Amino acid sequence: MVESALKVAETRSGQVCIVAVSGRIDSTNANDLLTRLNTLLSSGEKILLVDFKEVLYLTSAAFRVLLVATDEAERNAARFVLCSVLGQVRDLFEMGGLLDAFTILGSREEAVAKLGLA
Amino acid sequence: MPGLLPHTTDLAIRNDVAELAILRGALDRLGEEFRIPSEPLLQLQVVLDEMVSNVIKYAWPDGGAHEARVRITVRVDGIEVEIVDDGRMYDPLLAPVPERLPAGRRPKPGGVGIHMVKQLVDECAYARIDGHNHLKLTKRCAVVAVDR
Repeated sequence: MVESALKVAETRSGQVCIVAVSGRIDSTNANDLLTRLNTLLSSGEKILLVDFKEVLYLTSAAFRVLLVATDEAERNAARFVLCSVLGQVRDLFEMGGLLDAFTILGSREEAVAKLGLA
Repeated sequence: MPGLLPHTTDLAIRNDVAELAILRGALDRLGEEFRIPSEPLLQLQVVLDEMVSNVIKYAWPDGGAHEARVRITVRVDGIEVEIVDDGRMYDPLLAPVPERLPAGRRPKPGGVGIHMVKQLVDECAYARIDGHNHLKLTKRCAVVAVDR
């Protein structure tokens, strides 16, 4: 049985707040993710890194959330970056025409190294 | 125990986004029972979420309690999904393709879901019959029915 619930866990590496998302992001739960991201941004986080490594799939509801969060980050002078966008999940970004809409870095380690220097 | 193919599942979905969890669960169970390969199964999860959430959000602009019917048919050569609702006439296949923006410019949310669905399924057909929208989506993949 595949894991169905959306889970969001936060960890920190220096100035980078890593948001590890796992499971499915769809119409029923995308707003929960937006609430978490907005809470982090309004609490003053300046670098949010969303890790998609454990995401099973996502729908356009998730893209809407990521676009809204990107705008919100901009208003807060924060950076909003995605990493580990791989396999089927990457295909879905591609099909949605959204690969270029976000800053997407490679693995979490690569992203943290790059963002930590910024 | 796995059943014989074709296998049909009929679901009634109220116009509440939370009801999409019913579809998700049903498709998961079919995936397990008929050992549907994970890639087409997950793609179908995306397809159902996109199209049924559209119906829930837009088919009945006046609100009130309504129901869409979803039929999932598992065949040896793929899975067929039919979504039927009595909401306002809407042919999603006529939706315009979102324009590709130059790098650095972010698209407005919206219109992306249907565009993805068209790429995720092998066939889609729409018909308006007796005041109902009928949308049929087919994903081809080999399904191996397991003997009882």
